Amino acid sequence: MNDHDEDATAGQLSGHERRRLQTSRLVQYFLLQAVIAGACVLALLQSLPGPPAQYQVTAFKLSEAGVERAVTLPYFSPLRNAMNDPPRFTGQFVRPAGEASQAWSVFLQRFTNGVEVTVNDVVILDSRRDPAANRPDRNTPQIAVIPASVLHDGENTISIRLFIWGPITGFLDRIWVGPDELLRPSYDLRTLIFVTLPVVFSSWQAILAVILGIMWVMRRHEPAYGVLAAAMAVGVGQAFLQTPMGGATPLSKLNVVLISSAPIESALVVTFTLLFAGWKWQGYGWILFVPGTLLALAGLFGNQALVRALFLVLAVPMVGISLVIMAVVTARSTLQRPNVAGLLLGCAVTIMLTCWIADLLSVFQMTPNRIFVSRLSYSVMLVAIGAGLTWRFARALNQVDGFAGRLVTQVREAEEKLKASFAREEERARAAALARERTRLMRDLHDGLGGQLVSIVALSERGNGSAGIGEAARAALKDLRLVIDSMDDIGGDLMLALGSWRERAMAQLRPHDIALDWRAGTAQGLPVHPELRPWHVIQIVRLLDEAVTNAVKHANARRITVRIETLAGSDGLARGCITVEDDGKGFEIMPDGAAAGAIKAARGLRNMRSRAARCGAELELSSCAQGDHQGTRVRLTLPHRFPDSDGAAG
Amino acid sequence: MNSLNDEPKVEAITVVLLEDDAPTLWRLQDALTKAGCQVRAAGTLAEARACLAQGAPRVLLTDLQLPDGHGVDLIRETRRRFPDTEIMVISILGDEESVISAITVGATGYLLKDAFPTDIAATVRDLVAGHSPISASIARFIVRRTQNTPEPPPGPALNTAKLTPREIDILWGIAKGFSYAEIASHLGLSRQTVPGHIKNIYRKLEVHTRGEAVFEAVQQGLIKL
Repeated sequence: MNDHDEDATAGQLSGHERRRLQTSRLVQYFLLQAVIAGACVLALLQSLPGPPAQYQVTAFKLSEAGVERAVTLPYFSPLRNAMNDPPRFTGQFVRPAGEASQAWSVFLQRFTNGVEVTVNDVVILDSRRDPAANRPDRNTPQIAVIPASVLHDGENTISIRLFIWGPITGFLDRIWVGPDELLRPSYDLRTLIFVTLPVVFSSWQAILAVILGIMWVMRRHEPAYGVLAAAMAVGVGQAFLQTPMGGATPLSKLNVVLISSAPIESALVVTFTLLFAGWKWQGYGWILFVPGTLLALAGLFGNQALVRALFLVLAVPMVGISLVIMAVVTARSTLQRPNVAGLLLGCAVTIMLTCWIADLLSVFQMTPNRIFVSRLSYSVMLVAIGAGLTWRFARALNQVDGFAGRLVTQVREAEEKLKASFAREEERARAAALARERTRLMRDLHDGLGGQLVSIVALSERGNGSAGIGEAARAALKDLRLVIDSMDDIGGDLMLALGSWRERAMAQLRPHDIALDWRAGTAQGLPVHPELRPWHVIQIVRLLDEAVTNAVKHANARRITVRIETLAGSDGLARGCITVEDDGKGFEIMPDGAAAGAIKAARGLRNMRSRAARCGAELELSSCAQGDHQGTRVRLTLPHRFPDSDGAAG
Repeated sequence: MNSLNDEPKVEAITVVLLEDDAPTLWRLQDALTKAGCQVRAAGTLAEARACLAQGAPRVLLTDLQLPDGHGVDLIRETRRRFPDTEIMVISILGDEESVISAITVGATGYLLKDAFPTDIAATVRDLVAGHSPISASIARFIVRRTQNTPEPPPGPALNTAKLTPREIDILWGIAKGFSYAEIASHLGLSRQTVPGHIKNIYRKLEVHTRGEAVFEAVQQGLIKL
């Protein structure tokens, strides 16, 4: 995720800015690597604490290749192979009287390749029996308790034979002879660092091999993991196999091949690094495996000496070259796409490279000691790989979580949209069904009842004295039109229903010579009520019809004024208001709201009230029988929201 | 419908009246004759065609449901043969079902069957003067068709693509019951131009002959020649 973001950011920058950013990253990266290398060097310069100096035996008489001379330890032998006539160091040490109760030991902190220690002509230690000690790349210390019977107070003789079998020259570091309890802490420390820790790391390597192997099996499209798993497996084989001594069997040859597989291991790790950095495998990639293959062939068909000789010229440089390639590749990939895994790998490579150079200097005797740290520093690489893997895994998990979270949100949003759309669809379907029903009803009425009513009107006009019938038929037609009209979808805009009502009212008033004064305040007229239903419309229109009919029949009016307004109510909500006013003779309204006088008019008023109540509207009636303001006024204030159900039905 | 024309008639308006219901026919004929029109009455499509064969009337008034066919066919024929004849449909309810289907074949007005005699004559005279009547419910139906809805509402098919925004505004005004004067003042128009707009609207809603349809398709880039 971050990688892509970085790329996107980089993509938006201008070329110049991008170069500057790259340079700054490059400088930062190299400064960090320099600091790490410097810290490494400082750490390597620290010598491990040794036992008390008083027990150190330094002066020896060396008998090497038939020549005898006095030497002080540490001693670098020029020989690469001395098995039959090994260099022999002979020295003296004093055990003070009265210390017989204490166990004394000989402590050798470092030697290549093997030692045989003799005290007073009794052999007390042969390191060749210890496989770990036979590996020149490990800095295995040795300690041996001198049997009490061999030791005696005063001067004792110690003699050491140094066996050398290559591939590097022989070396014997300082030795101590003294009370075991004083020597052992130093020995334990060295064993911990140079023997136990590598075993721990090798176990870790084995676990990594398994994890990476599984990873590769599950994700075949990422061969980098498979290559790294192979590298780890080769490394584990190397660590736990023993250096073959002597006898040549087919199995021992395989053993030789495996134990000298460092170049193959480094080639695999380099391949991993390249693949990890996004490199595609090319045919010439096999070049990386040439040194390892040569060494393996030498192991299968040659002898151990050849393998050892070749190891020095093939394996050691191969490891160095691999480290340099890895350093360059990780640096490049980390600079291009900064990521934690790449950075960790880069730092590990820097540490390993520093240690490899230190080892090389040590081999060429340019340092006063011979501690090999390359193999140990490889553990840093293992830690980096483990950390990088875990980091990637955690990040992938986070991404999955984020993805899942996004998915949940999206699904919820989609669900809500779907619900809303479903509700809309339902509403639309309802409206469509109503419209279809209306169309059907309209056709039916048109073909049947409507035509018959028209005929009645026509017939009544021809005959005499049947004006009442004609009027009734006309009223029936008018009501029919109202019913059909009110079923039409007017989208909650009552003005659309009033528009048709105005036409019908004008047609009704024209023969009576009554003027209809229509006063709609604004172009909008009334608020829109999405909850408006056909039955609301019918109630309101019939109420208005009643008002107009009253004005025509009972008030003897000349002019009817319809006023349509939108008023801001006391609660701040806009409410529609329709007023029907006439200039007729008016009537007295009784305290109970009913009209005095005609029973018919009273019933009309009661009807109007009932219709208003059903729609949740307020009806206000005022009438004045005398004076300038003679006439009747019906004022209908619409609710802010029309009721869903016919609350005051009946 | 909206204005009562009381001017003395200069020339008798010739009317062909087609209505199958006898009482209604007499009633309409009476009203028109009293208003000074020359009426040729017919009860069937065949009779009406015979009347039309005598020459082009100024106005054709026709019912839709007829014993020997549908009035729509007669309207279409008349529109083709006599482009100057004003055609009006006689409707019981003034509903869009009948009126719109008549408009799409060339009618430019409608008359309610139970209209009062004075209104009948006034409507015919207005039509001849170029004032097409339009009801609020018809206007409402047309403007609803101009709104984009996923599925067409039920009722007769209607193509409103050619209507201008101004014409749609006028239809909205009519649908809401405003008078021509009120619409004119709301829209900043002259009151006299509103009837002309309405006639235009009717004309634009008319489905033309095939030849014209092809011509229009080419004009609108729907067909490439």
